[in-house]
Amino acid sequence: MMDINDVVSNLERNYILKLLKQGKRIDGRGLFEYREVKIKTGFIPKAEGSADVFLGDTRVMCGVKYDIGAPFSDNPDKGVCTVMTEYVPIASPMFEPGRPDEVAIQLARVVDRGIRHTNCIDYKKLCIKEGEYVYILFVDCYMMDYFGNLTDASAIAAIAALLNTNLPGAKLNEKGEPEWDGTYAPLTIYEIPLSISFGKVGDVIFVDPNLSEEMVLDGSIAFAVDEKKQVTSIQKYGSATWTVNEIMETSKKAIEIADELRAKLKLRQHVQQSNS
Amino acid sequence: MPILVPEPHDEVCFREDGKRLDGRAVDELRPFSCEVGVIKNAQGSALVRHGKNLIYAAIYGPREVHPRHLARPDRGILRVYYRMATFSVHERKSPAPNRRENEISKVIREALEPVLFLEAYPDSQIEVYIEVIAADGGTRCASTTAASLALADAGIPMKSMVVGVAAGKAQGKVLLDLGDKEDKVGQADIPCVVVMKDKSISLLQFDGEMTLEEMKLGFEYVLKGAEIIYQKQLEALREKYNKISRQAEIEDAELSKETPKEEKTASESTDTAVSPESSDIFKSDVEAESAENTRSAEINETPEASETPSTEGSETKTSQEDVSSVGKEAKEENTLSEESAPSEVPPQAGEDNPTGDDK
Repeated sequence: MMDINDVVSNLERNYILKLLKQGKRIDGRGLFEYREVKIKTGFIPKAEGSADVFLGDTRVMCGVKYDIGAPFSDNPDKGVCTVMTEYVPIASPMFEPGRPDEVAIQLARVVDRGIRHTNCIDYKKLCIKEGEYVYILFVDCYMMDYFGNLTDASAIAAIAALLNTNLPGAKLNEKGEPEWDGTYAPLTIYEIPLSISFGKVGDVIFVDPNLSEEMVLDGSIAFAVDEKKQVTSIQKYGSATWTVNEIMETSKKAIEIADELRAKLKLRQHVQQSNS
Repeated sequence: MPILVPEPHDEVCFREDGKRLDGRAVDELRPFSCEVGVIKNAQGSALVRHGKNLIYAAIYGPREVHPRHLARPDRGILRVYYRMATFSVHERKSPAPNRRENEISKVIREALEPVLFLEAYPDSQIEVYIEVIAADGGTRCASTTAASLALADAGIPMKSMVVGVAAGKAQGKVLLDLGDKEDKVGQADIPCVVVMKDKSISLLQFDGEMTLEEMKLGFEYVLKGAEIIYQKQLEALREKYNKISRQAEIEDAELSKETPKEEKTASESTDTAVSPESSDIFKSDVEAESAENTRSAEINETPEASETPSTEGSETKTSQEDVSSVGKEAKEENTLSEESAPSEVPPQAGEDNPTGDDK
């Protein structure tokens, strides 16, 4: 990434900091106000599931593909789900083409952990033959327009695309190899995790940083929250330090905001009942 | 391990009624639509839907070249990155760019270079990023169409728009705009990019079996199809500005609802600001003359403000005299109004003389 000073002028930087210290945001939001989220699903014909998510002007597209492969030896009866993120240079003058850098890998792993540790997907149903054949899901998130808080946008995109996914069913043929049984079925998803990110400047904490705030903040923290109002995963970004008290307070706030957001988004409406 | 649902690979490309599988005639395009300004961060961007292709293109630049050694001192460089999303094809594609993507990036670059004025951007680069979100055959053509739109949207001067469209052959028939299946099982494929200004071809590839006559027919189809897409490109570019002007009209209408009040308050405030001043000086004045009063008051003020600080020595005297005489003149003009028409002349003459002496 480019030096942040190239993107936000000192003048703007000071202005944002001044506003935040007064409890105001540069885009007029309150400190704990989330940007508007818009979701479109099922628009990529060749993906098993897809989602196009706008978080304010931030845009993430996600597609789910599958493969059949061997399970991990410690989980021989469970399928595999991997999240990958691509910082495609289409999204921002700061992104460069090339292999995913540490920022992209971290984001992918944070989204991945949010899904993995929430009892989200029924991995046992992704097993075709124990120890030999399981479904491997690829959840690929493409950053299409970068205006801050890619973590939350990617998490929403990933779960919306997974909900939208229809996998072809498999049966074993005479040779014991998997074969299509002619049906498609949606994934079994128990929990819908959401990610809520907070930025921190000095001792001011605010939710869902936008691009210019992301450029000036000292650090941020992302919480994955499940439907049981539990925090299932935390990632701290940046060099800011957080007191235990701040972390506890912010966690509570995250659960509150996630609840509100979950009620507003009604993500289960993106489940696509297969027609076969 | 192959995936569960294989793609159909029988050779059938025509229905029983002689039309193509999607119901098209041999020289008919797939449904095409396009849009510009779809990515806010980019200088210019475009979305092209061609059949089931879903392709985004974005322009960044002209900007500094990284790495520096690629920069040319006499001209700018164009860099095209054609990439397919992992979920854009039937079997998941690895995210790392492969040889096919690198080759297509190069041919698209060479299709765009002839319509750009790269010599106008020494030491800089223009980057074209193309992301194929859904692939449905003919992606390099649709990508070039998208890139051309995005370049125009970015305001980069171009000699002409370019349009990509393919011809081909399946089951012995020459076809325009191959679909996914026709592309894979057909006998021949000629992706072309047409420079619309002079109908020359700036991208040309061909594989398969075709006679020269068939190829000529294919080119005829291509030129016909390109014209249709070109019109849609122009429409999309115009639509962007139509949208802006519609938005401006709405804002104008909203403003004009509010402004009458604003204008009144504004004029009132100026009136109140000036009138006490003028009334101080000319207490006895009639209301009808108040407009003139304000004007003269302005005259009174302006020379003082502009001249006194900058002038030196003897000149200050004259300027002060000027000012005072202008002030007198104005006063007389206003107080005496119509009667004073002849009496205006002497002070003016008196004013002219001293300035003339000084010079």
